[in-house]
Amino acid sequence: MEDSAFSQEFFGFLRNAIPSVAAAELLLLLFRQSARSWTLHDLLREMPGDASISEPDAASCMETLRSCGLIEFDEQKRARYCAASDALDGQVRTLAQAYEERPVTLIRMIYALRDTRIQSFADAFKFRKR
Amino acid sequence: METFNLILYLMAVLTCIACTVLLGRSYMHAGVRLLLWGTLCFVGLSISNVLLFFDLIVFPTDVDLRLWRLAAALAGLLFLLYGFIWEDRP
Amino acid sequence: MIEFLSGAVTLAYLIAAVFFLRFWRNTSDRLFLAFTIAFVLFAMNQGLAHVLAIYNEPTSFIYALRVIGFVLILAAIIDKNFFAGRRQPGKR
Repeated sequence: MEDSAFSQEFFGFLRNAIPSVAAAELLLLLFRQSARSWTLHDLLREMPGDASISEPDAASCMETLRSCGLIEFDEQKRARYCAASDALDGQVRTLAQAYEERPVTLIRMIYALRDTRIQSFADAFKFRKR
Repeated sequence: METFNLILYLMAVLTCIACTVLLGRSYMHAGVRLLLWGTLCFVGLSISNVLLFFDLIVFPTDVDLRLWRLAAALAGLLFLLYGFIWEDRP
Repeated sequence: MIEFLSGAVTLAYLIAAVFFLRFWRNTSDRLFLAFTIAFVLFAMNQGLAHVLAIYNEPTSFIYALRVIGFVLILAAIIDKNFFAGRRQPGKR
């Protein structure tokens, strides 16, 4: 997977929808079995063993995913992958590919984007903006 | 000695004002809410330091502005802490 | 009332310092380290001044804590603008 696949749009997608590695894993679980409706417990049970996320955090991740138009909930509060647009679906495919082929880069990227708001505090003290 | 103290107090005031201006300017450009809370924090700290200056240098015996100094500093810091705590939300 | 405010301000400086410490660990940006130390010094200044009941003594050593704090912040701003190199994103 080349560096060019990590586009500005992809960064924007990550920044808005994927605040953590666990969030990415939740989304990819839903994406890979998109016909299935998942409860939160199902998802948490099938998460990779080294990922640790608490239930409230997982619930808030799911809410973020829903508000980004990636999943929807049915009447029993089960979640199903449902991208609101082809562009979004494309971003999720990019995410899946990055997770397989460039996991270290992807993880570093997720954490770097999480820190951009904090970094902007430090960057505010620069006299000249680039 | 007095002049030296004066310079130190002025430095405190000017540093706070500089932080206020830098954070405020960045907030205008980038719109990142965290910067708004940072700006408000340093507004509070600036006011607190200006009042300290008045309290000790201008009116050393007439008035005691401690209550207002502390209130301004606390208000500023509460804005900052609010911003830091909620900063993870989009 | 003053005791309450003094205690609250001291604690607020300390909590802010803890946040700055976390930000420094996340981003490795020296500015956050400077703010961490400065805010700890401000907390100490506020707390000690009250505990020792030295409210308006500018020559006391406690006052020096404040001065050092502000000097650190100024130094961090100058450092960021004239000395710091480019930061690589994602670097821990």
